[in-house]
Amino acid sequence: MQNQNSSEKKKLERGGRNLVLLGIVSVLIALMTTGVSLAIYHNSGDIYLDRSRPGFLPDEEEIEDENEKEEEKEYDFARDGKLTREDMEEFIKNLKEETKAIDEYKKPFGEEVLSDERLGIPVEEKSAEEPAEVPMEEQL
Amino acid sequence: MKKTKQFIYYIILLLICLVGVVPAVSALSKTQEAGISDHCETIKDNLKTIQKSDARARVYLGGRFETILNKYVTPLNVRLVENSMSTASLIESQNTLTSNKTKFTNDYVGYQQKLEELVAMDCKNEPASFYEKLKLVREERKKVEKDVQKMKTALSEYVELVGKLKERLNAESK
Repeated sequence: MQNQNSSEKKKLERGGRNLVLLGIVSVLIALMTTGVSLAIYHNSGDIYLDRSRPGFLPDEEEIEDENEKEEEKEYDFARDGKLTREDMEEFIKNLKEETKAIDEYKKPFGEEVLSDERLGIPVEEKSAEEPAEVPMEEQL
Repeated sequence: MKKTKQFIYYIILLLICLVGVVPAVSALSKTQEAGISDHCETIKDNLKTIQKSDARARVYLGGRFETILNKYVTPLNVRLVENSMSTASLIESQNTLTSNKTKFTNDYVGYQQKLEELVAMDCKNEPASFYEKLKLVREERKKVEKDVQKMKTALSEYVELVGKLKERLNAESK
């Protein structure tokens, strides 16, 4: 009777230990897979294309503008059917709107943004002067 | 005679060394080094703001490129094939646009990686290496700018091709 009791007690203790082990192993596996996913996310460069990360979220105004634009145009060119002159006219009209929107974007990735002056690094000729500390928000 | 030759060789060697060394030394003056160290935080803040505005530009332009490819270029080519019309030039144009867009994305990622490394650098204590890295980042940025220009050129060529197709349809319908 006493033997039976002690073996049951041992079983219970072993079960508890196994449960703790299971918890630890699960947490370790979760940490490992999260680490691997983050490494892939970073090394593949997807992190730089993602604007949902902290510090890169779109401003409220930007979201409103995008919503307005989406409401404005819902053009879809059908992949089938006879191709007519009218279809092409509408196609070109909408396509030109898209290209115009690209052209209207002022100097994307212009090199002057990273110039010494804009960053606040003293320029050789003006070495005696203090560099202008203009916040970048005002310049962009 | 031999000594004169040797002397000339030494002079040439000295000149070569000077040509190699001078630009490296004069790349950053003491004033500039001090300026970078003193205004390190401001420079970094400016770089972070650039990072953010670049992300906005990439999403805007990348989104437009994607829309043009998926909503215009590809459907038109599919429809032309269905209508048994010749599409060789338009398919070539589609390939150019797709590869330009991929290059734009890849170059942008490369540029952002370098920019992030630059922001993480210690410009207070290592202004010279910080400036060297900045020059590299500028080169990467130039690549992205060039990609956008290439994409714009490819798009205007595409619009021209589509215009010709419209003229052809006009002529056929008359």
